[in-house]
Amino acid sequence: MSVKTELDFTLNGRPVNIEVPVDMTVLNLLRDALDMKGTKYACGEGECGACTIEVDGTTINSCLMMAVDLQDREVMTIEGMQTGHMLHPMQQSFVDHGAVQCGFCMPGMIVQANYLVKKNPDLTREEMKRGLEGNVCRCTGYTKVLDAVAAVVGAKG
Amino acid sequence: MSEQVAFQHIEKTSLIGKRIKKPDAPAKAMGKTRYINDMVLPQMLYGKILHAGRPHAEIISIDTSEAENLAGVHLVITAKDTPELRLGFVKDNAPLKDRVRCERDEVAAVAAESEAIAAAAIKLIKVDYKDLPGVFTVEDSQKKDAPVIQEHFPDNKSLKFEFKHGDLAEAEAKSDIILDDVFNVHLVTHCCMGTSCAIADFDHNGKLTIYSQTQYPYNYKMDLAPALGIDAGDIRVIQPPTGGSFGAKLDVYPFEPVAAILAQKTGRPVKILFDREEEFINSPTRQPASMHLRSGCTSDGILTFRAADVVMDNGAYTSWGATVPVIMMRTTSGHYRVPVVDFKGQAYYTNNSYAGSFRGYGNVQMTYATAQHMDMFAERLAKDHDLDPIEFRLKNAQKSGEVTPQKSYLRECALAECLTTAAEASDYVAKLNKYAAEREQKGRYKHGIGLASSIHNAGGAKIHKSDGCGTILKMDDYARVTVITGASEIGQGIDAVIGQIVAEELGVPPEHVTLVNNDSDLGPWDVGVHASRTTFIAGNGARRAAIKAKKQILAAASKQANVTAEELDLRGGYVVQDKDGAVVTRLDKMLRQMHFQPEPDVVMVSDYYEPNSEPEGRDHISDHSAAYSHAVHIAEVVVDTLTGEVKVEKVTMAQDVGRVINRMGLEAQMEGGLAFGLGFALSEEMIFEEGRLKNPNFRDYKVPTAPEMPDLDIHFIESDCEEGPYGAKGIAELPTIVIAPAIANAVYNATGIRFFNPPMTPEKVARAIWEKKNS
Amino acid sequence: MSEIEKYIAPEEVAEAVEALGTGGVTIVAGGTDLTPQINEGRCHYEPTLMNIQRIEELNRISLTDGEIRIGCLATVSEIWYNDIIIEHADILCQTANCFASDQIRNAATIGGNICNASPAGDMIIPLLVLGASVELASWKEGAMEIRREPLDKFFKGPGKTIRNENELLVAVIFDKPSADFIGQFRKSGPRPALEISTVTVGIGGDLKDGKLENVRVAFGAVGPTPLRGKATEVALEGQILTEDIISNAAAAAQKDASPIDDIRATTWYRNHLIAVFTEELLNNVC
Repeated sequence: MSVKTELDFTLNGRPVNIEVPVDMTVLNLLRDALDMKGTKYACGEGECGACTIEVDGTTINSCLMMAVDLQDREVMTIEGMQTGHMLHPMQQSFVDHGAVQCGFCMPGMIVQANYLVKKNPDLTREEMKRGLEGNVCRCTGYTKVLDAVAAVVGAKG
Repeated sequence: MSEQVAFQHIEKTSLIGKRIKKPDAPAKAMGKTRYINDMVLPQMLYGKILHAGRPHAEIISIDTSEAENLAGVHLVITAKDTPELRLGFVKDNAPLKDRVRCERDEVAAVAAESEAIAAAAIKLIKVDYKDLPGVFTVEDSQKKDAPVIQEHFPDNKSLKFEFKHGDLAEAEAKSDIILDDVFNVHLVTHCCMGTSCAIADFDHNGKLTIYSQTQYPYNYKMDLAPALGIDAGDIRVIQPPTGGSFGAKLDVYPFEPVAAILAQKTGRPVKILFDREEEFINSPTRQPASMHLRSGCTSDGILTFRAADVVMDNGAYTSWGATVPVIMMRTTSGHYRVPVVDFKGQAYYTNNSYAGSFRGYGNVQMTYATAQHMDMFAERLAKDHDLDPIEFRLKNAQKSGEVTPQKSYLRECALAECLTTAAEASDYVAKLNKYAAEREQKGRYKHGIGLASSIHNAGGAKIHKSDGCGTILKMDDYARVTVITGASEIGQGIDAVIGQIVAEELGVPPEHVTLVNNDSDLGPWDVGVHASRTTFIAGNGARRAAIKAKKQILAAASKQANVTAEELDLRGGYVVQDKDGAVVTRLDKMLRQMHFQPEPDVVMVSDYYEPNSEPEGRDHISDHSAAYSHAVHIAEVVVDTLTGEVKVEKVTMAQDVGRVINRMGLEAQMEGGLAFGLGFALSEEMIFEEGRLKNPNFRDYKVPTAPEMPDLDIHFIESDCEEGPYGAKGIAELPTIVIAPAIANAVYNATGIRFFNPPMTPEKVARAIWEKKNS
Repeated sequence: MSEIEKYIAPEEVAEAVEALGTGGVTIVAGGTDLTPQINEGRCHYEPTLMNIQRIEELNRISLTDGEIRIGCLATVSEIWYNDIIIEHADILCQTANCFASDQIRNAATIGGNICNASPAGDMIIPLLVLGASVELASWKEGAMEIRREPLDKFFKGPGKTIRNENELLVAVIFDKPSADFIGQFRKSGPRPALEISTVTVGIGGDLKDGKLENVRVAFGAVGPTPLRGKATEVALEGQILTEDIISNAAAAAQKDASPIDDIRATTWYRNHLIAVFTEELLNNVC
């Protein structure tokens, strides 16, 4: 076993203190060590976006990032988006527009969509497509995903 | 409250055709849903399989001692531990192999306390192989001295299919134009976002509970039992939420019995979960096929015959994939009116990977050929005989009431309407002529438009003796409904549709309907999610059950209200007068009154719906589906003639859906289905070299991403299918089937080049254009 | 299984470079290349894992005395949206727009892209066009020593560079391009970005009075390393971009390239694309 190190970071607004093997990825930390299974494994090499999370306000593929690098950072996963039992407007829009089928890619897709809209509230449909290029969905053909994001952008505008 | 509403009137409204949200979507969008991939059972061990990684070899010896001695390893098994166990469509497969026939072959398996230990243990297993010459093409498989792959099939021949109708020689003689081409359909795979997983757990009685992604739970028991040497009755299948399926989970694959054997022998639950590379290498593919198609037509534009000689690479084991000619021949004989048909299909064993069922099931392959031949006829007839390309197709389009040579009875046929709707909406003929005229002009970017259509079963497919689905429906004292159905949910949205149908009949909100459909110990029989059958079959079943429940409630209410049951209706949570909607009583109150009256009565009904269709026989002459449907796609593309990139800008889709049930779910199936066909047409390809997959990752196996999706203009044609629920037909496969040849026809319109061998990758297109220019 | 015995996360460059001097160190930054390579068994961890992400000064982008300096930890996203880069080196922004996906751009560092030394490493191409050098820091006799090497001499083969194990690539530097500088980048599709390039082409130079001067051309994925297109540069230097000159340049580009067949493309297609892209970029310019 590789050496372990102590790690302090903020996860969905709450402090986490945990000892992790230094070669652990953020995805494995979330899923296996912290039982935060909303973030999905689907390729393990940054090609599909199912494991997308926000770190210090920027989205990354958690399968590629080393857990040790979370030290002092703020992490938001899909589980951190809702308020109580209320869905985040982006989550609600995905539900309302029929963008969720098998749903496996959706946590990553929704975190990425939310980041894109935060970064650019005037996002165009073309920019949405480009911004979601790294999120593979096999069920929807993306059309309803784009409708869902567009509705959130429209609501803001 | 009830006193106040007693004077209200509730109008009759309908949920049918409305946009119904998927009930499981909020939990999925919040990341709360626990997929099978996420599940951990108490005391659970992690299984891992050693795959051969070589295409053809004898196994001289296996040394598992080092793996067994690794701390945390509970068990290592090989074929020696599972001598008699068989699986597969013709039982030519086994959970663990004593000889290697393809790269995927399972040689040994371990159960350990963590995934990491299991992975480490696998690397410690030493196998001494003697590599054998491999067979990697169908041509080599047929050679006289070809190595034999399966001992029981010494000529390397697997399944064979034949269908003949009419006098071929006579039809050929009558034909003014005969087309003769070979189309080769490549290997693609499902790429479910949730990788393959099974968790097996035995109880003290030797009963297996298997958590599975199967889309076929009741037959799955039957298929899994011989691979474990136990009775099918001793298997309980639980289907947790799954990350996609698309046909991939119709067969049982070796990893599932392997998980069960490990669980049986260790006495602990065992989970096997693939990583993405394992998923690519060890998952089913779409059945590849070489299709030699000959088609004839008169100078008046009347089709005279189709003759198809299909040769399939069976891979090392026979799966559902190799049975796709059952559907291919329906396309050959039914895609437009074909008076004379000659279909032959033969699968040959090779040392390649093997297929499974895949959305479109044979029709993706055959329509790629037939729809291009239709386009080739249309072009010739327009040029030489001034026949409009839509008119040509309309001449050959079947009409309601026609019967195909295989006895598919097209009770309600809307092909003509699909054709005219799509053609008008896209201005097809004008663009076709314009782009063809521009083809030889200067310019790097060429526009093209292409039309394709197809036919598919839309009322199930009776490949078993029964194609039915059971439903159990109960209502509680609060007017909440629970529906237990045999139909599985794999993301496609039967949860929304059943809720909608039951709510429609019982006059309750869809949110008040709970669906139970993931446990074979609870659910009644069904033959699985496949063949675009679930809304049709399970939807009919749920509707019939709801109607029974409604009758029971209204009978009770009629006694109370002193009117006949026919004069009553259920609306908005109330029993009302049918004629004016005057409220009689609250539904929940009515149910309680039924429950607590002197002769208590509780609403618990059941139904087994068997569609009005005939089993697919050996002669392939039967009305094997209770409905058939058509779709037309018109693709508009831009081809970069230098890089060969094909950008699909817009697709106009017109599909006979019978009747729209859940409009949102229907659109979603059309869009998602199209994306599958788009990837197949343009970018997805499993690249094999000597039986080894060279691109087992999303870097080099390119599924469509958001920027590649075209704009869609979707038209639903409602033909009102008499047998379907509210008139609906099954819909989910046609969008995948029709798009690829529409794109191929559009690329032809843009470039003058036919692509007989998909995918139309940039390199292939660029090379063909360059060669044409420099020839 | 290789096991990590020690984890360090220095906050100062000197600290990191000193640690490197002791040997047996795996450097991790964005992790976008390292993690998949470890998973696939293409590389193994050394006994010490050094996370350099905490060294703040290494992600700065600055313009001083006519020199643009990009710290090795600057991510592709940071480069894309940096005002200095937008104003003076737009070719880097063009490339960033074609780089992987949003999530990877947010994590992938310029230093990592260079040191990974993939023949298809996208960000290397515009840097070659900009005439960039790299700074390699090592620990010598109690102090940090820095050498500068031109980027076009840095690569030795797929995954191989002249960087010694004890050296840290701390920055990439290039002269601020002149006001007349034009730079163009092209990558093969069909996806806009999420592709391992089958061919990339970058062309840059000063366009004065219709003539292209101080030309630099670079190609990716057509040889064992990203490479300078010397013959193409000669064909273009000092020339007005007429149709003939452009087709000469395209022919020269095919001479510069020595592509191979692999699962992503054949030699034919790479040779074909390199000419197509060279012509396309030059046509964009004139």
